[in-house]
Amino acid sequence: MSNIELSQIERTVIGADGGLPSQSSDTSLASASRLGARGLLLLSWLAPVLLVIVWEALAQAGWLSPQVLPAPSKVIRTAFKLVTTGTLLNDLGVSLLRAAAGFALGAAVGAAFGILVGFSRIAEATIDRSVQMIRAIPFLASLPLVIVWLGVGEAEKIFLVALGVTFPIYINTVLGIRQVDPKLLELGRVQGLSSIQLISRIILPGALPSILTGVRYALATAWLALVVAETIGAQSGIGFLAMDAREFLRTDVIILTIVIYALIGIAADAIARLLERRLLAWHPNYGAAR
Amino acid sequence: MNVHVAPRYAAPSESGPAVIVSNLVRRYGSRVVIEKLNLRIERGEFVALLGESGCGKTTLLRALAGLDPVQGGRIVAPRRPAVVFQEHRLLPWDNLWRNVALGLQAQDARERAAEALTEVGLGDRLDDWPRNLSGGQAQRVALARALVQQPELLLLDEPFAALDALTRIRMHELVRELVTNHQPGVLLVTHDVDEAIALADRILVMRDGAIAFEHRAARDGSASISRAELLGELGVISHSPN
Repeated sequence: MSNIELSQIERTVIGADGGLPSQSSDTSLASASRLGARGLLLLSWLAPVLLVIVWEALAQAGWLSPQVLPAPSKVIRTAFKLVTTGTLLNDLGVSLLRAAAGFALGAAVGAAFGILVGFSRIAEATIDRSVQMIRAIPFLASLPLVIVWLGVGEAEKIFLVALGVTFPIYINTVLGIRQVDPKLLELGRVQGLSSIQLISRIILPGALPSILTGVRYALATAWLALVVAETIGAQSGIGFLAMDAREFLRTDVIILTIVIYALIGIAADAIARLLERRLLAWHPNYGAAR
Repeated sequence: MNVHVAPRYAAPSESGPAVIVSNLVRRYGSRVVIEKLNLRIERGEFVALLGESGCGKTTLLRALAGLDPVQGGRIVAPRRPAVVFQEHRLLPWDNLWRNVALGLQAQDARERAAEALTEVGLGDRLDDWPRNLSGGQAQRVALARALVQQPELLLLDEPFAALDALTRIRMHELVRELVTNHQPGVLLVTHDVDEAIALADRILVMRDGAIAFEHRAARDGSASISRAELLGELGVISHSPN
């Protein structure tokens, strides 16, 4: 816990430095505002830390039934036990693999159709309306149908994740390509670029911010799809662990799986942000340019 | 429908003109914007094109650049011209040397971009990003990008209009110097009468889609036409003595 806090503080301070490049010549003012930022950061952590402490205290005092809400310390001990006996890491690996496979599949399909529709009005007329109609269905509502088609196995889970990923990638790819500044395209023609050079030097870099927004959104959707898919008829994975624990009223394991889902969600978002900082270093809204 | 006569870019010849335009017609629907226009620009010649808004001067420049189709007449230029627009149009995701080298088909693209950037006074900022530049600096990079192509015809579409007065004067000096060194034919579209007088060997005033007035500056470079005279040609009545 304290490790996470420390790294958070460091990151935010670095972020604050990067955000105000050589703007304030008055150093005392700068250090004062930095101190203020650090104070606010500590303050923002106060409530969650207090909450955990109160939770722990109530559980230790016996006011909370372990079946309703086990103590945080108990959850951590359970985590250690599950890691050492080997099932937790295995289940985590299975879940990550499903998410990765579904994401790769969905992203490939979404990007392929997105690029096609982004470049061709004919492709748009042919494909886009159908895609928008399918998109109107909340993709989780198709789960019963997917189970009828594919049964309850790996294929069904990967398919559901892919389904959730395809649409945000598709929409943001089309949007990104369409939003490329026509004046820059005109410049490309003036400079004598070939069609392929126009795409690689102007259209794709111009569409990248939008595409990465799609990736970030898709990562969140992928995770949601995985939770739902694993909750129904899984033989392994984090979701299976949770459902199995429910049978035996192991609330500590259920809490642990929820925390793991949350942590992986945060990790996925951090990866997406890192990608943005690396790939969009030129963009005034992202990362510090070198 | 309309007959599309594409600009013809012939093989470069050693001493021919930078561009010859004959009987050019450009229409938007039924509205005629350019009517049987003739123009010839020699290499090394600096031509300024003045005119009221909507008189067709930018349309002419875009036709010469090959950006818009024309409905009649002929444009013969040795090679594809280089263009500097009113906005710098730098690619924000590429550093300066990659921006300058855009479209350059050469092994030593980086060296040539570096040379061009040095010429415009930005040789120490090859790897910098466009967003760190001032308006004048960005426009200097745009000039470098145009000149690195070694054009025989350079089209300038009000490239200094968005700059402050001091920066504009510095840019005028730079452009004169660059044109003297590289000797392209130049067509400068501008609203600024003083700019035209300061820079051009020949001043044209465009009216109703055709060239209505032409003035050739004296060889010694002294401005032999008064501001008031030109403003009169542009339909502005001026009471100032000079």
